[in-house]
Amino acid sequence: MLEALNVSKDFGANRALDKVTLRVKPGEIYCLLGANGAGKTTLINLFLDFIEPTSGEVRINGRKVADDPLSTKRDIAYIPEQVMLYGVLSGIENLKYFAALATGERHSREQLLALLTEAGLPEAAADGRVSTYSKGMRQKVGIAIALAKNAKALLLDEPTSGLDPKAASEFSQLLAKARDRGVAVLTTTHDLFHAKQTGTRIGIMKQGRLVADLSSQDLSHTDLETLYLQHMAA
Amino acid sequence: MIRLIAQREFTEFVRDGRLLWAGGIMLLLIVTALGVGWQRQSHLHAERHAAQHLDYEDWLKQDERHPHDAAHQGMHVFKPEPPLSIIDPGIGPYVGSTIWLQAHRQSEVKFRPAQDATGLQRFGTFSAAWLVQILAPLLIIVFGFNAFAGERELGTLRQLMSLGVSSRALLWGKALALAMGIGVLLVPGVVVAAAAVVIESEPGRLLDSALRFLMLGLAYAVYLAITVFVVLAVSARASSSRVALISLLALWIVGVLLAPRVMSDLSRHVYPSPSRTEFASDLSTDLKSEHDKAWREQFGVSTGWGPDLPLSKWGVALQVNDHVGYGVLDRHFGALWDTFEKQQRMQEWAGLLIPVLAVRSLSMGLSGTDFVQHRDFSVAAERQRRVVQDIMSHDLIDHADPLGDRHFAYQADKELWAKVPPFDYQTPSLAVVLRHHWSGFAILSAVLAAAVALALLFVPRRLPL
Amino acid sequence: MKARTFWLVFAHEARVLIADRTLPLVLTLFALLIGYAITNGIVEIRARDAAVASILTKQNERNARNIDQLQRINAGIETPAPFSNAADPANVGGGLGGRFAYVPTSALAPMAFGQSDMIPNYYQVTYRSRVNFMYDSEIENPWNLLSGRFDVAFVIVYLLPLFIFAMSYNLLSAEREQGTLRMLLSQPLTLTKLVLAKVSIRAGTILTCAILIPVAALLIFRPETRDAVSLVQLAAWAVLVCAYGLFWFAVAVIANAFSRSSAANALVLVGSWVVLVLIVPVLLNLAVSVASPAPSRTELATQTRLITVDGLRRYQKLFSADYRYSDKPDLLLPKDGRFEVQSRPKAAFMLQRDVEADIQKLLDRFDAQLEGQQSLVDRWGVISPAIIVHEGLAALAGNGSQRYLHFQRQVATFHATWKQFFEPRILESRAMTEADFAAMPTWKWQEETLRRQLSDLSVRAIQILALVLVVAGIGFWRLKKSSAV
Repeated sequence: MLEALNVSKDFGANRALDKVTLRVKPGEIYCLLGANGAGKTTLINLFLDFIEPTSGEVRINGRKVADDPLSTKRDIAYIPEQVMLYGVLSGIENLKYFAALATGERHSREQLLALLTEAGLPEAAADGRVSTYSKGMRQKVGIAIALAKNAKALLLDEPTSGLDPKAASEFSQLLAKARDRGVAVLTTTHDLFHAKQTGTRIGIMKQGRLVADLSSQDLSHTDLETLYLQHMAA
Repeated sequence: MIRLIAQREFTEFVRDGRLLWAGGIMLLLIVTALGVGWQRQSHLHAERHAAQHLDYEDWLKQDERHPHDAAHQGMHVFKPEPPLSIIDPGIGPYVGSTIWLQAHRQSEVKFRPAQDATGLQRFGTFSAAWLVQILAPLLIIVFGFNAFAGERELGTLRQLMSLGVSSRALLWGKALALAMGIGVLLVPGVVVAAAAVVIESEPGRLLDSALRFLMLGLAYAVYLAITVFVVLAVSARASSSRVALISLLALWIVGVLLAPRVMSDLSRHVYPSPSRTEFASDLSTDLKSEHDKAWREQFGVSTGWGPDLPLSKWGVALQVNDHVGYGVLDRHFGALWDTFEKQQRMQEWAGLLIPVLAVRSLSMGLSGTDFVQHRDFSVAAERQRRVVQDIMSHDLIDHADPLGDRHFAYQADKELWAKVPPFDYQTPSLAVVLRHHWSGFAILSAVLAAAVALALLFVPRRLPL
Repeated sequence: MKARTFWLVFAHEARVLIADRTLPLVLTLFALLIGYAITNGIVEIRARDAAVASILTKQNERNARNIDQLQRINAGIETPAPFSNAADPANVGGGLGGRFAYVPTSALAPMAFGQSDMIPNYYQVTYRSRVNFMYDSEIENPWNLLSGRFDVAFVIVYLLPLFIFAMSYNLLSAEREQGTLRMLLSQPLTLTKLVLAKVSIRAGTILTCAILIPVAALLIFRPETRDAVSLVQLAAWAVLVCAYGLFWFAVAVIANAFSRSSAANALVLVGSWVVLVLIVPVLLNLAVSVASPAPSRTELATQTRLITVDGLRRYQKLFSADYRYSDKPDLLLPKDGRFEVQSRPKAAFMLQRDVEADIQKLLDRFDAQLEGQQSLVDRWGVISPAIIVHEGLAALAGNGSQRYLHFQRQVATFHATWKQFFEPRILESRAMTEADFAAMPTWKWQEETLRRQLSDLSVRAIQILALVLVVAGIGFWRLKKSSAV
């Protein structure tokens, strides 16, 4: 579903990604680990067409992102670390706008409320201004947008950082549900524990290169923490 | 401590290019404006001086002719261009510089430069004063909007406070840095201006010019200091540097652009001035009724210059006519000019809220290009006209024809022309100017005090971080 | 689908701008300012119309009185005073019968005061040389001239860009800073379309406000604007204002296309405004006056004096001849169609005629110089849209330099006709007759043709639209290249 083929990205003289190849199939949760600046977010940005690759190809559902970014964006949903919304509008108004942008359809209030409930936002909060929302609540609206879009792939950038344990666990459950529906998930994280818990594949990035690509079988008999630190030290 | 803070701040202006770019452009503009102003002033001054001289020569060289014809031909007087008009041409473009002194009527000062210019003139006059009044505050805003707000966003403000730097020291330091920033840009301009003023001043009035120049510098220093403290106050109060910048820009726009026009409308509303039609027709009506009255009383005739009055009486009649007219002219022109001055005074006091109005008035006053000094010239010119009229009528009375039927046949000679003194106009001294403009200093000082108080209020001992 | 996205963003922007109170605040404030400006304009122009009406009434009264007096003189009932004698052509051609030449206010006059507070809109034309009246100026406090007037043109040229900035300085940068831009662009939506929709809602509201309020006020309070020609002019006015507004929106798009902070955008925008609206026009004015300098007025004064002295010498004898009214009161009465014009008025007439002829070359130099400056402004004005629009709005309001030049040329022609009419009567001592009063030249204002006005305006509109295209082109090109992050 999500494919990066031999992708490099330079920012001036600085090489942020170096010949990275990575595939995420439907029903897979791919966790990308790595230090700050390793190139994880750059990779996500490439799938979103926020930036162009210097060389190599990025594909979504078999189509090259660069060819028709608008159509590839229809298949994906993006949830950044901070889901940012319009503070002066309510959660449901934000969802209505983004869902309409994403699908080209108008959703009824009932549909929107159902989406928010599914994403875990209490119905009572839906009409409050987003400026009063906590980070977790905003993220739930972000998830609701992804649900409304019925995306085939999810791009998550540090989704659990800064969430309280309860919210993080709720989020993991939602991810598992998506995986079960056959959604391909690419998520970056610093949280080794979370990665081990939810990920079906794990990649480790260092200085723009993918230095490890582990399947869930590999994981069962390796200590992820040791492995990670080994790579970082190398 | 304060010096240290100022130095760091100043280094930042230099490093981030603000001083180089914004400041460089400003510097270039000011020096250009002064160069242009200097060239214009020295050219005008020389030309008018020469013309004034020539005009009197020609007056003296007149052929023999009837005194009233000489008075009709009259003479021209030219307003001298004061040396400080290099810095601030003031109302110069909108008032004339030449008066043709003719018989019977007080003339207007003619030839406004703005009438020889295109509509672009209405965008403003390019001068050092304009730049400092309008653009320098913007420059201070650019330098200072993030003085506190920016450091708060960076988190360096927490750092500074944790080191035990007092917030007031920070305020004075930042004020000093802004003063240095703007000062560096203005120094070359000040040097050029000082040189120009010294060179262009008449030797006898060098002290006067120097004092005016110093006071002008003081006035602008106070004006810019006001801006500095307002900028720092807003920067300290604003929740972010963006809010600080937007609020300051809004203040600037209202202060230099909007308010002066609104105040000008308002002052016109409070002290309405007549249109040219009204003024001319009121003046004519008054003149006519006063003249008729005088003719009835003095000569017992109902119409002026009629066959009932023997020609030998025309000299006296001329004098009577003129003298009656003087009062009426003084009344009408005086009222009009008083209205203008009241309008301006009102706007000057509005300077308590809109300092640019106060500094503009003060700057023109000190530069010798304000309305008070223009009026002084107009009055002096009219006085000269009356001197000419009176000498001519007097001569006509002395040479009234004993036969009773001659008037214009009489011709005076050069001796009479020489009785008219040359028009020796001295621009008002600094003392006169200060009598009119002390309020400008008072207003600016009051506003400065208020601005400092505001800055102190918004930079309390425990600065919100 | 595509058009729908546009309207979706459009409607959403409207909601956000209303919810965060930007739109109500900006529009209310702008409406107040432009409402004040147009009120100012309407009041001022009414006063000007009233002033012209009053001098015309006075002129008609005077004319009637003159004819009346002439009838009484001819009937032998009245012996007039020497200097207010309706039978004397030198009197009538001078102050007694002098006609007012005036420029009527245009239908759109309240939109821009232009030069009208400085250059008089009427002159009293007599046989005296133009030197005597052409340099008059409107009575106005020079301080106020310096401050400038608060008219609609001021609001459009100076303030409209600032209001446009207030709405759009953070068009994209705010979304970038809030992080919503990433959210938006992860949807199937291009940056170009997003920006277009955002600009559309802003431009739509503020430009509607800028155009509708003054136009509606004029249509209601100034019935002159309801004819076809004026409606065309109003439409042209709206086009000019729209083009100018779009220019500044395009500038705002460029500023936002570079991924800088909102504060940096605000600075860049105000900087561009300072340069284009404040500095460039003033510098161009300076450049134009250097390139095509006004001939010296001091020189003109000196020359006028010398020419006058020359004339006085030439007609010395005539000037020395005395009035003979005291011993021959009959001279004040016409006789067999003749009126003995005394030597002094004759001399005065000839003196004025000669001064006029001699000074003409000098005056032509001033006219040529001003036209030279004007053509330079027209050519170089394109470097700032503020200049194009300022001049365009003044021209449409009929208060621009061009129309005043046109007026002054007509006055010169009328003046020449006036003198021609009186010259034989004064020099040949023909008495004024009632028929003469009917045949006297009357002032008729010839309006500039609408076609000329429109062609001038379309040039301006094309200039601005070209600027809009260039600036918007750069902006959107830059947007295509800029990233969301």
